[in-house]
Amino acid sequence: MSRRVVDLEGKSLSLTNLEKVLYPDCGFTKAHVLEYYRRMGPFILPHLQGRSLTLKRYPQGVTGEFFFEKRCPVHRPPWVQTAEIHRSGGETMTACLVNDLPTLLWVANLASLELHVPLARAGSPGTADAMVFDLDPGEEATILDCARVALILRELLSRLGLASVLKTSGQKGLHVFVPLNRGETTFGDTKRFSRAVAMILEKNYPELVTAKMAKSSRTGRVFINWSQNDGSLTMVCAYSLRARNKPYVSCPLEWRELELLAGRGDPEGFLVLPEEAIARVEAKGDLFREVLERTQHLPHL
Amino acid sequence: MTGGTIWKGSIHFGDEHLPVKLHGAVKEERIQFHLLHRRDGVKLHQQMICNYEKMPVPADAQIRGVEIEEGKYVIVEHGELEQMTPEASRLIEIHEFVTTSQIDPLLLDHVYYLEPDSDLVSGSYTALAEALQEMSLSGICTWTMRKRSYHGALQAWGKVLRLSTLRYADEVIGASSLGLEEIPLSERELQIGSDLIRQMAAPFQPEKFINEHQQKLQQLIERKARGEKIALLRPRILTPTSADKLLEALEASLKKAA
Amino acid sequence: MQGIWSGTISFSLVAIPVRLVKAVAPGRISFRLLHGTDYAPLARKMVCPEEQDIVPPEEIIRGYELGPDHYLPITAEELASVSPERSRTIEIVEFIDMAEVDPVYLDHPYYLVPLKGGEKAYSLLAEIMRRTNRAGLAKFVLAEREYLVAVKSEQGALALVTLHYREEILPADDIAPKNGTVDEEEKGRMQRTMEAMRAEFRPERYADERREKLLELLRTKRENATVTAPVPGDEEGEGPADLVAALEEIMAEVKRKQ
Repeated sequence: MSRRVVDLEGKSLSLTNLEKVLYPDCGFTKAHVLEYYRRMGPFILPHLQGRSLTLKRYPQGVTGEFFFEKRCPVHRPPWVQTAEIHRSGGETMTACLVNDLPTLLWVANLASLELHVPLARAGSPGTADAMVFDLDPGEEATILDCARVALILRELLSRLGLASVLKTSGQKGLHVFVPLNRGETTFGDTKRFSRAVAMILEKNYPELVTAKMAKSSRTGRVFINWSQNDGSLTMVCAYSLRARNKPYVSCPLEWRELELLAGRGDPEGFLVLPEEAIARVEAKGDLFREVLERTQHLPHL
Repeated sequence: MTGGTIWKGSIHFGDEHLPVKLHGAVKEERIQFHLLHRRDGVKLHQQMICNYEKMPVPADAQIRGVEIEEGKYVIVEHGELEQMTPEASRLIEIHEFVTTSQIDPLLLDHVYYLEPDSDLVSGSYTALAEALQEMSLSGICTWTMRKRSYHGALQAWGKVLRLSTLRYADEVIGASSLGLEEIPLSERELQIGSDLIRQMAAPFQPEKFINEHQQKLQQLIERKARGEKIALLRPRILTPTSADKLLEALEASLKKAA
Repeated sequence: MQGIWSGTISFSLVAIPVRLVKAVAPGRISFRLLHGTDYAPLARKMVCPEEQDIVPPEEIIRGYELGPDHYLPITAEELASVSPERSRTIEIVEFIDMAEVDPVYLDHPYYLVPLKGGEKAYSLLAEIMRRTNRAGLAKFVLAEREYLVAVKSEQGALALVTLHYREEILPADDIAPKNGTVDEEEKGRMQRTMEAMRAEFRPERYADERREKLLELLRTKRENATVTAPVPGDEEGEGPADLVAALEEIMAEVKRKQ
């Protein structure tokens, strides 16, 4: 078992099992995962900071067993920052906050390939910083159908005076985020709003969109999962890897790129691998920055 | 008298087949308590409640799933779960023999006694029991009983063959995950402590221990049922031995035990 | 790690504050029961049949059945009073050799974890038991039951195993054949096969096989059989009137444009 101790920002971190292959289909190892997150550091950290992390760990790689961990692992370096979170039922729990690069790499070293965070920060758990439309294709629908829905959604939101930002889920779907960043906006607000939008889309595009959970209603359609707008749920973070057969990235896209990809009719074009994700941020910067910085107000509520 | 036959199977390894009957080895006698509603003393029922509708759900409307993403489950149908277990057969299939001491006792779960299914195989049964004892081996085996697959160890104790079910390795928490620190101990403390244990050593005689609490509990119930007032006694709480007083406590204990 | 009980463990004049935790946990990939109609997760709750409602833990008490539908409530304090010397203390009375303990006596494993201040005494007990190869025998009361327990050293930690009482072990006298004459050739053949099938015990192998099957099933089903559980708070209706009106107007415009 190989092990290296690195000194990062004055903190000492032990990296282990570096040559372990976590994605057997393409030989992507733990070292590759760590290198990806190291290079992505400056771009992904702003989206993780101050948010309780849900780890999704694959100690034996993507073909092995996985588990969610909402509690911060008890054996952690003293410099890992945490927050006390209140869970339903009254108990409190200690969650990890990925506030710096050493913590990000510590988490990656635990084979938490996927990083999931809530839409609220730990310090203000009732405030929805953004509203999200999680577009999830049902059986026989594809990401191209999601793209169609995303474009209609963007048009609708824009006419309501709301700017929106887009990323791939890293799997088969798309995530449309509407930045809010106002202390008064609650999850009650975002859930009601997104549900109303989802229902109007379903009403007007019944063969393309469904706003209902039941599996049977989803065949051939895109499910707009508005119920993700909830303080107790998490979304995969922008730039996180996914634990599919290959390390696809949940990658922010420009709307213009979406139009081109949709026009080309090529679902594979939406799949972004780590090297490409890094090249993109180095060339274009953080396309998701707006989610953290723009302040918007939900109208008609 | 042992309990009745739970199941019948046949031990198989190499060319050997030994038909056996399984009996339970343990019979627990406990005073049973029910759970009551404090307000009206009504007996409560345990039910599976739907998280969403907050209503009880009957068994035929329950399905199984595995959580793969937050709030998202892959449904596993009943038939599929069964397919994962091997065909129902009566074989207790031994895959390997291991030195008995290699089996961590933490893995041992339930014990069944095995009885030869007919007089004709008494000789083979005894031969197997002797062979396992002489070689200090256990047979690691799998079998399917009532649609569930089991994995266990075939062992001999005295003249009796037993089947112990084994827990799966991933179900047992290792001591290392407790996060205990290593505390330095002085050789003197360890010496005295070891001597103390030797002073307090005894053979294992389980018949010495009876369930006294059971009897006292029975008395409590009778007294309360008669309407007597129950005096509440405070539980005994000991003062923990601090690190700097440890050696002193050990020395005093050794003196007392001698 | 959830705590089940906390108190002190003692041997002679040494007392160690500890907490009891489980040693066995379900495997990481576990099934959840879901409601077949809406895929909401189910939870086990106690329900009062009179009021048809879920009863929270603080309103639940234990009761003993005196007759049909006639229950005698017993409070937690009354239960603790029955054996006050044993409800918060595990007192080791002697040290035994675990090799003398027939595995049929073993019931359920736990670990003891030291509480603040007890770390040194805890480490000492673990180490002296390891050196002398002995385990502590004690009785203690947890809720309404009194257990006979063995406290052993396990990789620097203290493991506690509850034991069955002698009277709970069914005799095996009638099980073994009385007059099984052993055919030495048969026994020799068995021993040769056992030797040929000898291996190192690797318990992870069996856990891995079972987990592999389940993971394979999940992989194949993931694409088509993933469902999303509903979130409590799903309402009926289209939504806030103003918003819906604005959306309908906009939708009409968008469609006109297309």
